[in-house]
Amino acid sequence: MKTTNPQHRVLALLSVPVFLFLVIPTAIVVPVALNDSRYITFPPEGFSFAAVAGFFGDKAWTSALTASLQSAGIAVVIGVLLGSTAAIGLHGRKFPGRSAVMGLILAPMIVPTVVLALAFYQFFISIGMVGSILPIGLAHAVIATPYVYLTTRAALAGLNPALVRSAQSLGAGPLSVLRHVYLPIILPGLISGALFAFSVSIDETVMSLFMQSPSATTLPVKMFTDIQFNLTPKIAVSSALLVSVATIGLLLQVMFVLRRRSTARMLPLAVSAQT
Amino acid sequence: MTAATLTVRPQGRRAPGEGNPKARRRLSGWWLLLAPILVFDVILFLTPLGKLVASSFADNAYQRVLEDPLVLRSLANTLSISLASTIVTVVLGYVIALVLWRAGNIARVVLFAVVLLPFWTGILVKNFAWAVLLQDNGIVNAFLQGIGLTSAPIELLHNRFAVIVGLVHCLLPYAVFPIFSSLTAIDDRLGLAARSLGAREGSVFRRITLPLSAPGISAAGLLVFIISTGFFITPVVMGGPGDMMIANQIDYYARQLTDFSGAAALAVVLTVMVSIMVAVYQRVLKAGGQHEDN
Repeated sequence: MKTTNPQHRVLALLSVPVFLFLVIPTAIVVPVALNDSRYITFPPEGFSFAAVAGFFGDKAWTSALTASLQSAGIAVVIGVLLGSTAAIGLHGRKFPGRSAVMGLILAPMIVPTVVLALAFYQFFISIGMVGSILPIGLAHAVIATPYVYLTTRAALAGLNPALVRSAQSLGAGPLSVLRHVYLPIILPGLISGALFAFSVSIDETVMSLFMQSPSATTLPVKMFTDIQFNLTPKIAVSSALLVSVATIGLLLQVMFVLRRRSTARMLPLAVSAQT
Repeated sequence: MTAATLTVRPQGRRAPGEGNPKARRRLSGWWLLLAPILVFDVILFLTPLGKLVASSFADNAYQRVLEDPLVLRSLANTLSISLASTIVTVVLGYVIALVLWRAGNIARVVLFAVVLLPFWTGILVKNFAWAVLLQDNGIVNAFLQGIGLTSAPIELLHNRFAVIVGLVHCLLPYAVFPIFSSLTAIDDRLGLAARSLGAREGSVFRRITLPLSAPGISAAGLLVFIISTGFFITPVVMGGPGDMMIANQIDYYARQLTDFSGAAALAVVLTVMVSIMVAVYQRVLKAGGQHEDN
């Protein structure tokens, strides 16, 4: 607090329950997963890895975990390749239709996921691509790519296009410009973009639900199906795994914010939501 | 750098064929960078959406779904749940944004991490956690009984209250950011001047902070409302049968009734509604930006 007048103290007091409301649900997940009980309780009654062992001993859950990692892998690879090339291709370049291209790149962020889920469901059936993780990974890549584009574009914002021209005028070919001028600059953006893509894919539920098959059921789909019947320790373990991914992402983002010394920089990323 | 600018710029202005061939090859090379994403999005984004729109015109689908009382009910649910969640989210988001704005550097980073935590956490994890907290023998019910407010567990899950709690928790980060950025745009000297002229904190807030952060409030409200209309998982996990939203209705048409033209028509209706709101949102953002410039 810059000043300590009574109004600010009132504000700080008022905000405590709001911050607790934000934190508590995520904070209880790991203790619930490590609880020594057959039932889901909080606060926990004891400490045990029984539920974790149960999770990794259950074929249905481990194959869901594998399916999730596979779809996230597809989404990250495609997202990084397409998002970064798009950001470089658009950097400092003016041409007719530029805003249309940018609109198309960002459009998957604003279409509600349930609409995309329905569209992909029909599309992949019509081309006979069902029953595997590939269509789910491709669908995740569609919504993950704009994130990589945005983080790469943010990283490129500090690059003067004249630097590229001077490298070229000194005889650098396109590949060497990409490697020596662009890559070092976009690397932090690429890493955080890849992380966003991974997180978007690993948490995505609606599209994966529409396209699920016995051989392609992701972790959130398995959780969604089970949670409607009962709260089980295996759902808790699965949640704890996803929370650890979220924590890593958050820590890296905080480091990014600290490095940039500007908290407002992360705002453009808060466009789309997994609903 | 100046030399490079001098040698490169004229080439771009020269008539085609006149400049050196390397420059033109470079130009076509940049298009190759955009080609992958364009091809990918045309095949895997525009084509599926186009097919969806096309299929919505079959079998008189629009008239059929818009006459279905279940659809009208889910539209009404979406409107009331989204509106209630938006109001609560913006109020809570404003409190958080004020604290972030007034916090010192270290506290600000820590609190930002707290705000971003639900943003990174998957929707099912959040819903699972809320189900644990709100269940009959959960900690919230224990607390309510502990302070003597209730004598027996009350049903906190599988109703509209739970859906709104779930939505607000997911939406809060999206409200905090636009409000926070409109607060940081306020010139601190305005408050100092008002205080030096004898204004009390309450009237500084009412007459300076609140009006100047109004663009952030409207942007936050619109953004949160837009996102809230598409919720699918939370109404199923935390709501009851009467809390189906429009996304659930699309799912019901597609996977229960296998009425794809009906589902597609509903999806088009939802997308059009969201697109209009996004257009308004961008207008509001622009208006807010001009306001800050003035």
